[in-house]
Amino acid sequence: MIPLAHYLILSGILFSIGLAGVLIRKNIIVVFMCLEMMLTAANVALVAFSRAQGTAGVPVYDAQVLSLFITGIAAAEVAIGLALIVAMFRARRTVESTALNSLKD
Amino acid sequence: MNMIHNLPWLFLVLPLLVAAIDWLCFSKHPRLAATLSLLSAAGTFGLCVAYLNGLQTGTPGVYTWMPCSLEQLCLHLGLVMDPLAMRMMLVVTGIGLLVHFFSIGYMKGDSSNLSRYYAGLSIFMFSMSTIVLADNLAMTFIGWEMVGFSSYLLIGHWFDKASAADAAKKAFITNRVGDFGFLLGILLTLGFFGTMNFADMAGKAAGIAPALLTVTIVCLFCGAVGKSAQFPLHVWLPDAMEGPTPVSALIHAATMVAAGVYMLVRLQVSMGVEAFTETACCIIASVGAITAVIAAIMAVQQDDIKRILAYSTLSQLGYMVMAVGLLAGEAAMFHLYTHAWFKALLFLGAGAIIVCCHHEQDIWKMGGLRKRMPLTVLCFLMGTCALIAIPGFSGFFSKEAILDAALAKNPVFFWMGAGVAALTTFYMLRLCIVDFLGSARDHGAEHAREAGFTMALPLLILAVMAIISGYGFIANDLVPFNGFHAHGFELGLPFYVSMGSLAVGILLAVAIYGFGGRTKDPLAGNCISKALRNRLYIDALYDKVLIGGLQQGFAHLMQFLDSYIIRGIICQGLMWFTVRLGYLFSAIQCGSLRAYTLVSGIGLVILILLLAYQF
Amino acid sequence: MFESSLCQILFYVLAAVAVLCAIGVVAYRNPVNSAMCMAMSFAMVAAIFFGMGAQFLGIVQLIVYAGAILVLFLFVVMMLDIHDERSSSNYVHAAMGVLIAGFFAGLVINVSLGLPGATDNPCPAKTLCSSFGELLIGDARTVSEAPAAAARYGGALPELSAAAAARLENPAISEADAARATSISDVKLLGKCLYTHYNIAFVILSFALLSGTVGAVALARKIRKD
Repeated sequence: MIPLAHYLILSGILFSIGLAGVLIRKNIIVVFMCLEMMLTAANVALVAFSRAQGTAGVPVYDAQVLSLFITGIAAAEVAIGLALIVAMFRARRTVESTALNSLKD
Repeated sequence: MNMIHNLPWLFLVLPLLVAAIDWLCFSKHPRLAATLSLLSAAGTFGLCVAYLNGLQTGTPGVYTWMPCSLEQLCLHLGLVMDPLAMRMMLVVTGIGLLVHFFSIGYMKGDSSNLSRYYAGLSIFMFSMSTIVLADNLAMTFIGWEMVGFSSYLLIGHWFDKASAADAAKKAFITNRVGDFGFLLGILLTLGFFGTMNFADMAGKAAGIAPALLTVTIVCLFCGAVGKSAQFPLHVWLPDAMEGPTPVSALIHAATMVAAGVYMLVRLQVSMGVEAFTETACCIIASVGAITAVIAAIMAVQQDDIKRILAYSTLSQLGYMVMAVGLLAGEAAMFHLYTHAWFKALLFLGAGAIIVCCHHEQDIWKMGGLRKRMPLTVLCFLMGTCALIAIPGFSGFFSKEAILDAALAKNPVFFWMGAGVAALTTFYMLRLCIVDFLGSARDHGAEHAREAGFTMALPLLILAVMAIISGYGFIANDLVPFNGFHAHGFELGLPFYVSMGSLAVGILLAVAIYGFGGRTKDPLAGNCISKALRNRLYIDALYDKVLIGGLQQGFAHLMQFLDSYIIRGIICQGLMWFTVRLGYLFSAIQCGSLRAYTLVSGIGLVILILLLAYQF
Repeated sequence: MFESSLCQILFYVLAAVAVLCAIGVVAYRNPVNSAMCMAMSFAMVAAIFFGMGAQFLGIVQLIVYAGAILVLFLFVVMMLDIHDERSSSNYVHAAMGVLIAGFFAGLVINVSLGLPGATDNPCPAKTLCSSFGELLIGDARTVSEAPAAAARYGGALPELSAAAAARLENPAISEADAARATSISDVKLLGKCLYTHYNIAFVILSFALLSGTVGAVALARKIRKD
């Protein structure tokens, strides 16, 4: 079977790609997608751990529940986030993060 | 009270206390201040007389001022009460008392702050007593600086007069040059002798290399050069005549300027004559002789009565220093002693004349004073006779002693001394003839009146001292030298030579100036006279080279350092650096969301790194 | 044996596709392409969940992420009529981003391979197990048990056992019945955990979702100018 380390590596790579997207991309919608990808990467690690921690052939379901919660929160976050993006687009006519430079004011 | 052994400390405490009270409490009451100062001078004089008459109070206590783990580095305050010190104290306090008394008359009606004046006199009495009574070189140095300070105060008493303020500065700064050498000498003494105490120095010179001894002595001599106004640091003394005349009499004729001689003799006594190597002696005697000669030459063409006396003082101090250099400490102190009385007399007489001629100092504007103020003139003549060494007057004996010593050691110095004696006779007679004979040349002298009681009394006392202080019956007891014996007058080469120079001086003076008929100096107008009036251009040279060249150059350098290094690099550079740093950090706060994300990404990586590897 | 090696191959293929699609999300300039890549990547992750025996999570992953969220993204992209990024990209910025992400990936890979049994590099694993021992999901895991737990990180994931699942499902079941069980009821077990242990948290989550919905409506609503 596949060792735990490989799942974790997959999770880490996905997370890193998501991180790179968040850092590099200007389009805030794509940035948001990358954020979702990072959450999913965390889910992969959680499920892998739930299997690895399982005693006597049963996974630890606490980890899966946590993963479920992450999915739920991600859904709510997407709803809010996309609403924010729409609001931002209304205000600035753009969704590029370079336009968000008013933090120093 | 068994504190009686500390009675000598009163010599220092009394004037200092009075000075403080005068300055701090009586600044609005000059009469009270004057009385207090006079009383303190009288008190110390009385104490001094009591000690000289055999009062015994035991050894005065020694106090540690600055303790140090190394015993020889401790600064002790102690008093030395040997005859050298106590008899010197008699001169200091005696003339001090008379000058205090004279000042009351002289300063009457002066509009300046007289409390300050009397406080200054008291500070001077304190400092001079410190020098005389100090039992170690460090304490001498303290007094040394203090007399410099009080001299500064008193020369600059009329500080609203630019020339007086300048003279005060000049005196102080010129003295600093000498004091620097003196301090160096004290440290060298501490290094080579291992002690600053006069009492512990005896016999230690034998173990020290002659070259090191020479350096030490010459450095210490630097202090005397500054304080006793020897060439080349003599320039301050003529200018110091800007101060009130009693101050000139006390400080710049009788006591402070003699402190250098006293210090050298004190060193000779405590270190032993063997510490004064041949080279050092040669330097000291040469400096003294050169000073004596050039000062006498310059005195010939001065017109200001006080300046003539000032150059005369310089010349006589040169004599004393020369005597010290010839290892004739007893002759030096003898001359110091007689000179103190008759030079104080001459200065106070000049002061009386100046006051009576309505503050006129130019001798060519006086004249005929013998009819207007006979008593003062008589006293002044007594002083003159002593100075030009007419046989029978005090100056004759002391000058003979020096000339004897010079002939025995080195004839060159003897002949220089003889020449100076002739010049002294000449310029003093010039002064007297122009001043006292003939008729008044200015209305100031026409309306001159005899000086008042307060001025006349000191003059009379000093005149008596000027006559008698050279005779054995008084000199043996009072000349500040251990075991001094005034040797009787002997016929010999020195006597004939000095009589000859006296005669030459008198003849020249009478030939040139007649009996008071002249209204102008017949010697004036040529280039030599001009050079002498301009003090042989030594002052001008100092102005050009030291002040114009060296000081200005240094000032330019400092200005460069200040404006470019300190202001440019340090101040503005720091400011520039800070501003740049500020811009750098403000660039971080750019407001761009992406940049913030990037930075937080870096933070995330660092955080995970720390967590995972637990650095 | 064949089945297990097939599973292995399948995992690596799925993982590779997921990573490629994830790269596509970042790399494509057109946000629609990015969204499609994201859906693909999420689908692959869901398949990997199936492979790990977490069927319910896989379904949820598909429905929520690849379904609902993707649709939302696409909807917004279409609605706002967003085109390719046109502004010139800042290469220094991009390079730094890649550097940070690459460093992070390297870190995770290094840590993962440092698990006991994964490689012979015990050093980071030791520190890792002590720190992870406290962070573990199960409440029973304490630091003292950490070495034993750490041993389980290494090597292949443990096999699932239908009998154990049956015993967990019904503690009163007899040993013989348990041994006879053939399949694991994943949904049942997860649901049991969710609705017993995490009941309150689950309710709170539902409130969060609700408020998120309301908030989204409030934010996106067109504000009248009067």
